[in-house]
Amino acid sequence: MVLALARTWSGYRTAVRLGWLVSSNWTSPVPFVIYTIIRPISGALILVVMYNVITGGRGNTRNYLAFLVIGVSFWAFVTEGVSDFAVGILEDRGRFKMLKYAYLAPLRFPVFLVGRASSKLTSAVASVAIVLVVATVGLRLPINPLSVDYPLLAIACLLAFISVMAFSIALSVVLLAGRDAYGYGEIMAQVLYIVSGAIFPISVLPGPLAFFASLSPLVYWLELTRRSILHGRVYEMFPGLSDGEVLTRLALATAGTVLLGYLVYRWADRQARWKGYIDMDAAQ
Amino acid sequence: MPRTPNPSSDASRLAVETRDLGRVYKTRNETVTALSSVDLKVREGELFGVLGPNGAGKTTLIKILVTLLLPSSGTAKVDGLDVVREFRQLRSRIAIVSGGENAGYGLLRVREQLWMFSQFYGIKSKVAYARIDELLERLGLASVANRQISGLSSGMRQKMNLVRGLMTDPRVLFLDEPTVALDVGAARDLREEVSRWMAEDPTRTVILTTHYMQEADDLCDRIAIVNRGRIVIEGTPQSLKLEVQRDVVVDLQLEPGVPVLDRLREVAGVGAASVREEDGLDRFSLLLADDAVLTNVISAVERSGRRVAGLAKREPTLEDAFVKLVGRSMTEEETQ
Repeated sequence: MVLALARTWSGYRTAVRLGWLVSSNWTSPVPFVIYTIIRPISGALILVVMYNVITGGRGNTRNYLAFLVIGVSFWAFVTEGVSDFAVGILEDRGRFKMLKYAYLAPLRFPVFLVGRASSKLTSAVASVAIVLVVATVGLRLPINPLSVDYPLLAIACLLAFISVMAFSIALSVVLLAGRDAYGYGEIMAQVLYIVSGAIFPISVLPGPLAFFASLSPLVYWLELTRRSILHGRVYEMFPGLSDGEVLTRLALATAGTVLLGYLVYRWADRQARWKGYIDMDAAQ
Repeated sequence: MPRTPNPSSDASRLAVETRDLGRVYKTRNETVTALSSVDLKVREGELFGVLGPNGAGKTTLIKILVTLLLPSSGTAKVDGLDVVREFRQLRSRIAIVSGGENAGYGLLRVREQLWMFSQFYGIKSKVAYARIDELLERLGLASVANRQISGLSSGMRQKMNLVRGLMTDPRVLFLDEPTVALDVGAARDLREEVSRWMAEDPTRTVILTTHYMQEADDLCDRIAIVNRGRIVIEGTPQSLKLEVQRDVVVDLQLEPGVPVLDRLREVAGVGAASVREEDGLDRFSLLLADDAVLTNVISAVERSGRRVAGLAKREPTLEDAFVKLVGRSMTEEETQ
């Protein structure tokens, strides 16, 4: 039992390292660091410029600016964990042609996928930090690192990571069960972007869509990140709920996502094996 | 020369056993039978060849046996484990090396990638590095161990993939067209390493798919010829060649002209005929019931207006056995 756990842990760490090397080795270190810094800042700045144009720089919308900036910065976890992760897995299959060898290894395939997803989530940390620092300095958001509720932020992020992994792993295997799967990971991330309260509160969505959005753990995660960083100085989506109540909803939604992800994974894995698509060549 | 099976292996123990194995692919427009009623028994310690043209069902069979693909019907066991129900336990006992796919994370270094895959098999790093270094040395890759994979030639990549397959010390190794598109030297190195690896442990089994007759003849203890999803015949290379031993095998070279293959097949006493073009000549392989049939063959050629450029009798090969059993050459089957 202990030996099996040690092997699983070793396999997991190797999958993390593999994911990191594959996503960071595409260029020399200097361009990679520049890319890592520029990418999230440019993405956030586009939205900030749009915000300024729409609001005309009115001071009474600062709470919404904080809402927007924190939502966008933490969204990097979802972009990396869902969209970039799915692309990575499909590249393992079609471009590098190594996925089947990982799939056939004794290490459970979900552990390999969790490792690869972990590397993506880890690399998103830099992106989040960079945007928050730039927002604090450049946009004068009142973020004080000493007053952040770190325990709340850590628990919320941990649950969100579990949700994102469950979702992205299930999604990646669904994509493996299909032929022309490139691009769907990005589409799914975009859909989540709209219904997760990253750039606007879910209350502005049409009724059925708002209900659907309220089932997503990402909504409660982003609410808690905003509260833990800027409690009282940021627009809140659920002003009637305490932090504990939002956290409970996040935990329930996470449990639901993990259960659903597991069921979808089981189904999609069998589909992929039935169709023989685990080692499908991109040119086929 | 074919490998001599190691006498100390347990010949009664089956490494692979399939019963009525079938696989049908259904699309909106058509249903394709890739495998049909395949019954196969491969003994532990054998180097077993699955020979057939492209599209014959070889890769489908291998994909089912390594648990990448589910069968539509029948059962398959590898090393005593069912490929559908016990696939998790099975995966630690098998490895697959596929040819012609240029596999590898191009940005990683050879030794680094191999070590990573050893970790997915739970091999301790020290042991893994020792095995990797030994195998790299044996396959002549020691000098590129720290080179990025993208900088390797196709032959080197394929050797690296063989190292990946061997380093986990599988009970059954599946080689799916391992030498396809390789130069002569690289293909020879691969074959030699496979033979050496088998010789080290009599309980190791290799399943090799190939459409190179000579490769199967040189390496395999036994061969199954597969065509259109079915096993046509199974036996040792020698026994398969005996199928055509009583025939007269003739190579007939004709200068270019009108097609005559069908006419030659219609000549009484011609058991089978195939043709390939090489160096501007049509080279026919004919299986004749006896020498006297040759006169009728030459007459048929002359009536068609074709000119004979060369004629020679020779010893039968596996290719001749395939043509006799299937009625056409592998090349003809592939273009059907």
